[in-house]
Amino acid sequence: MSELNMAVIKPEMMKSYIWIETADGSLQQVEQEVAMFCPFICHEVIQKGMGSSKNHAISLPQRVNPAMLSLMLDYCRFHQVPGHSNKERKSFDEKFIRMDTKRLCELTSAADSLQLKPLVDLTSRALARIIEGKTPEEIREIFHLPDDLTEVFGACANYLLRNFFIFYDCNIDSVVQEEKLEPLKNITDDPRIRLLNRLYAKKRKELKERERIKNVEAEEERVDDRSVDDLLSFINGEDSKGIKTSKNKKKNRRKKDQQKNTSPSEVIEINEQESNGLKGSDLGETSEKQDVTDEMFASKPEFDDGDVDDEIDPALKEKIDREVEDFARRLNSDWPERMQEILSLGQDMKALHHSSNGNGTIRKYTDPEQK
Amino acid sequence: MKQREPPKLPCKIETEQDKLSNLPAHVIDQILSQLPIKDAVRTSILSRKWRYKWATIPHLVFDNLCVSVSSQDQILVRNKLVNVVDHVLLLHTGPIFKFKLSHQDLLGVTDIDRWILHISRSSIKEFVLEIWKGQRYKVPSSLFCCRELIHLELFNCLLKPPTTFKGFRNLKSLDLQHITLAQNVFENLISSCPMLERLTLMNFDGFSHLNIDAPNLQFFDIGGVFDDVSFENTFNLALVSIGLYVNVKKDQTLILGSSSKLLRFFVHLPHIRRLEIQSYFLKYLAIGNVPGRLPRPCADLNYLSVRINFNDPKESLAALCLLRSCPNLQELEMLARPEETCTGTLTDFWIGDHWSSMFPQLRVVKIAGISGIRSELDFINFLLSNSPVLERVTVKPVSVDGGWDLMKELLRFRRASTRAEIIYSDP
Repeated sequence: MSELNMAVIKPEMMKSYIWIETADGSLQQVEQEVAMFCPFICHEVIQKGMGSSKNHAISLPQRVNPAMLSLMLDYCRFHQVPGHSNKERKSFDEKFIRMDTKRLCELTSAADSLQLKPLVDLTSRALARIIEGKTPEEIREIFHLPDDLTEVFGACANYLLRNFFIFYDCNIDSVVQEEKLEPLKNITDDPRIRLLNRLYAKKRKELKERERIKNVEAEEERVDDRSVDDLLSFINGEDSKGIKTSKNKKKNRRKKDQQKNTSPSEVIEINEQESNGLKGSDLGETSEKQDVTDEMFASKPEFDDGDVDDEIDPALKEKIDREVEDFARRLNSDWPERMQEILSLGQDMKALHHSSNGNGTIRKYTDPEQK
Repeated sequence: MKQREPPKLPCKIETEQDKLSNLPAHVIDQILSQLPIKDAVRTSILSRKWRYKWATIPHLVFDNLCVSVSSQDQILVRNKLVNVVDHVLLLHTGPIFKFKLSHQDLLGVTDIDRWILHISRSSIKEFVLEIWKGQRYKVPSSLFCCRELIHLELFNCLLKPPTTFKGFRNLKSLDLQHITLAQNVFENLISSCPMLERLTLMNFDGFSHLNIDAPNLQFFDIGGVFDDVSFENTFNLALVSIGLYVNVKKDQTLILGSSSKLLRFFVHLPHIRRLEIQSYFLKYLAIGNVPGRLPRPCADLNYLSVRINFNDPKESLAALCLLRSCPNLQELEMLARPEETCTGTLTDFWIGDHWSSMFPQLRVVKIAGISGIRSELDFINFLLSNSPVLERVTVKPVSVDGGWDLMKELLRFRRASTRAEIIYSDP
């Protein structure tokens, strides 16, 4: 300030300053009335008598770095003046929160640690506006969120996982498109990835066979196998396409009965969705516990992973793509109806289903003969 | 698909860049609460950390946006809605402070009963339920066990609390529209909610005597059919808006010598600041012996809006009494009631200068729905000559007929205030 200005200042305009120290150790002086707008600082000054000198500077929580402190002080400086109209305050707020999302998050964190609720409200509203209406991919990109669902659970399982936890139509088309039936490298021997690779292998094999043989015998072969994978393949098989019944109410009841008795490993296969459309939207029955998900692909019969490295020509690849989409669609179909088809197609199948479980409900479909 | 590498520690650069996921849980709750429920739940697939972040949001709003189905099939939409609500409630964890259910296809009574039971176990503070169609929904008794309720809003419901109901001791705001409840239920409800500050009642049936005993009441807005309204202990009541949707019974108005409803109405409203007298309520106030002015002026009243039939002598008397009793009135709105039959014309009521300088603070006036009859013009003249600080008068006739004549008359009127603007607004 120039000397002239200083001479004109009246005594009441002399502001008092308090000392503030940020987590990085840097000290600064801040106008007291501005800083006191923050409840945290207010508390420190009044209850603990801090901030009066350099040695007794108020130390701020770790989440407040000097840049954020400066922003918050700007906010406080404006809002602590009683004279502004609501319109002015609103307009200031609108301009104030125009910053990149990273800083917005940091500011939210800092404001929260200083208990400056109006600023937390403002920033959280801004963040909500950013998130609203965007696809998950967009949100991940904006906020640099790691896409680790896919890493952990595998792409196909990711698709199924998504339908476990969300029952709103999400853009699962994009996920399904990604499935190219290429084997995943399974270095940690993750059982889920094992299943996935087996599924892919089966799928490829099946498509190839259909190309060459093209008769019903192939399906019967599949039917004779007793693993879950083959059951899936069967579901995807040609002759069962398009067979749907519309006994909605019955379906509900049966599903509920079934749920009680099927193991977690079955649940993932019978991931039913009650919609008549392509996109899965609701779940008739799912359990959302994390351990269920983890058990999803537990202990499956070992299969030869030898055919994992089959070469696929482009035309077949396209077919496979379409098959996978179908796979997704199949998961929307009715499990009980499928069971009826399966039951009706083979006597030996029936024997398997009426297990030692006395009440006659459909039990877990594992083959006791295999390991 | 890209090559899968063995799972390793998350990239350090990425975690440093991701500032959002590590915000404190209550802040994330706050952010997600401001999203439509659909977007909030979808954050569960953003990343591992986000799988359950949505599940603790304290506000759940299920409205027309929460289920987007292109199908027009109502049953499909309804089933989907039921599924969505069931799943959200089941997957949700932690307290639910605000719950709103308002979907146009909502009908399943047992579903709503089930949800309310679930909610009632959760220290709910704000509850909004709107049944868009069908019969009145009978609210289950579990709602009346929500002791922490602060705001309750019901649309198209029937209330029949259990006999053990002792009131909502924390309820501050009550909004009941298109509801049915019995007279004693209503009275019990009001008197057993001591903290009640805001009361809105629209289109109610089952009770017709409104005896409002609410010491903390500040805002009162009712519109419906009732026989009687009176206040008790309402010394904090500042905003009142009352609309009586049907005309008072003829026999009531003819009884002479009966106590004035107007007097009774204002006895317990000493600090009223804003008053809106809508539909036929002025007719109700005009019942009995209307005094010249109120015994105690409404010193705090600064806004008054009255729906009046300028041709009715009793209503004009009531209006005059009111106008004389609010010395600090700043804003006035007079709306002419469109009557089917003209019950004779009132002349010379507003003429005379024994009411001079009656409006020392009146600045803004709005007059609407008038047709240019004599009594209306007299009234405007009366206003203009008695408002020394008047700044703006807006006149809006009900139709274009006679607009020109009206304007000619308006031009002639003398104005006590040199700053008064008269604005003619097209109908």
